[in-house]
Amino acid sequence: MINRKIKEAGLNPLLGYLLGLTAFVLLSEYIFLKTEFAKYLVILTCLSLQFKLSEKNRTDFLLSTFGDNTKMRIRVIENFIVCIPFVSILLYKSFLIEASILLLCSIILASFSFHSNYNLTIPTPFSKRPFEFSTGFRKTFFIFPIAYALTVIAINVDNLNLGIFAFLLIFLISLSYYYKPEQEYYVWVHAETPKAFLKNKVFNASKNATLIAIPILFSLLIFYPSEFELILIFFLIGLLFLWTVILAKYSAYPGEMNLPEGMIIAFSLYFPPLLLVIIPFFYIKSINKLKYLLND
Amino acid sequence: MIKINGLSKSYGNNEVLKNISMEFSTGKAYGIVGENGAGKTTLFRCIAGLESYIGEIYSDITPLKNHLGLLLTDPFFFSKITGKEYIRLLCNARGKTNLEFDSKNIFDLPLNQYASTYSTGMKKKLAITAILLQENEYFILDEPFNGVDIQSNIILTEIILKLKELNKIVLISSHIFSTLSDTCDEIHLLKKGEQTKSVQKSEFKNLEQEMKEITIGTRIEKLELK
Repeated sequence: MINRKIKEAGLNPLLGYLLGLTAFVLLSEYIFLKTEFAKYLVILTCLSLQFKLSEKNRTDFLLSTFGDNTKMRIRVIENFIVCIPFVSILLYKSFLIEASILLLCSIILASFSFHSNYNLTIPTPFSKRPFEFSTGFRKTFFIFPIAYALTVIAINVDNLNLGIFAFLLIFLISLSYYYKPEQEYYVWVHAETPKAFLKNKVFNASKNATLIAIPILFSLLIFYPSEFELILIFFLIGLLFLWTVILAKYSAYPGEMNLPEGMIIAFSLYFPPLLLVIIPFFYIKSINKLKYLLND
Repeated sequence: MIKINGLSKSYGNNEVLKNISMEFSTGKAYGIVGENGAGKTTLFRCIAGLESYIGEIYSDITPLKNHLGLLLTDPFFFSKITGKEYIRLLCNARGKTNLEFDSKNIFDLPLNQYASTYSTGMKKKLAITAILLQENEYFILDEPFNGVDIQSNIILTEIILKLKELNKIVLISSHIFSTLSDTCDEIHLLKKGEQTKSVQKSEFKNLEQEMKEITIGTRIEKLELK
């Protein structure tokens, strides 16, 4: 499946793995450079990936298809493969005990299954206008208290950069709600022109993201009134990136956003004024892509 | 009125619909029957505008798709969307707001639960409720009776009869002949993408018998059940 995903992204699988490995090493180096908690972050990331592989429906399928012993063997091999890069990086950084614990936990975790689909309905402030923010909020609700806590810490330690990071975190999470294309039916069902459809998508996303970000925005504006221009610029950039991702999604619709869209967005991260060209480009492309499902 | 003229659809070299022509009048229900792969769902997708095609489809209210309630065979639901939000999403998409949920929840669905936790039948009932609340003029119901309990099937039959009374057009595909004979005014038979027969209500009995004979043939004897 990973091979298929890499191929869909327009890459040779070998090159994909190489790029992935390089990105992993560079990111790990960066994290170890920046924080003393990096080893815990590595362990947590690895375990959370393995946790996903332990999903009940998945393990039940393996059990009914292969039987108990083979299922156990498959699960141990899967967890072992997943933990190789994480254990390697811990060993490289001379965290021998942590690496051993992670390896042990990975093997033990292979014998457990977890339900990922609880019946508990998480309340959402976005229920009136489904679906991106209402479903997205439920998947990432725990991030928002963290972002608010970071803002409080930022104000306490007088670190505006940390406050802006918390603020951008909200936008980063918001734009993740728009990464995957929805089924055609959910576009088709709209009695709108492509223009009105995109306008509503962008308007609702901006309104909802602003609603979540507003406590941070106001706090920063109150405690750093002299920096209001900088704060508002970051707010505007956050909004522009949100629009870009929405438009990029529909510019590739019904396919998934791939390397070309990803590269264009990455370039604009380095040079945000590029967004002023990219947004109209994605907008025109989206209108053309949506014409077959929505009446003009 | 919906009128289809010379509709053909191909996927590469595989022609799945061949020169289909049909006319659907207001206040009537039409059955589309055929074996798996006969082209029923593709025909529905073409009418809905979800597929490109050769030929023409006219409707008295345009654009057709904006007034069409489409029930897919296997409706898809987002993982963390509640029943209520699903209905809201589909109604908002048609400009309908201020919805009254409690009195219109005729299938007694747990609307505050995630739709993904519903059973197959409940999912279908949710999708049906949503397209009914959209207040459409045309309805395409692809296998509406599949997986739904007997009580709800009775309700669904009555709903289709009510829609006819309200001068709507209803197109239904079903593998259960009795559900079509109870509700439809005309049945179109598709075979390998071709429209082989159109039968009026008075001849439904003959059609059922004919279908039985063709479908069963000597298959049961071949089993040599003991």
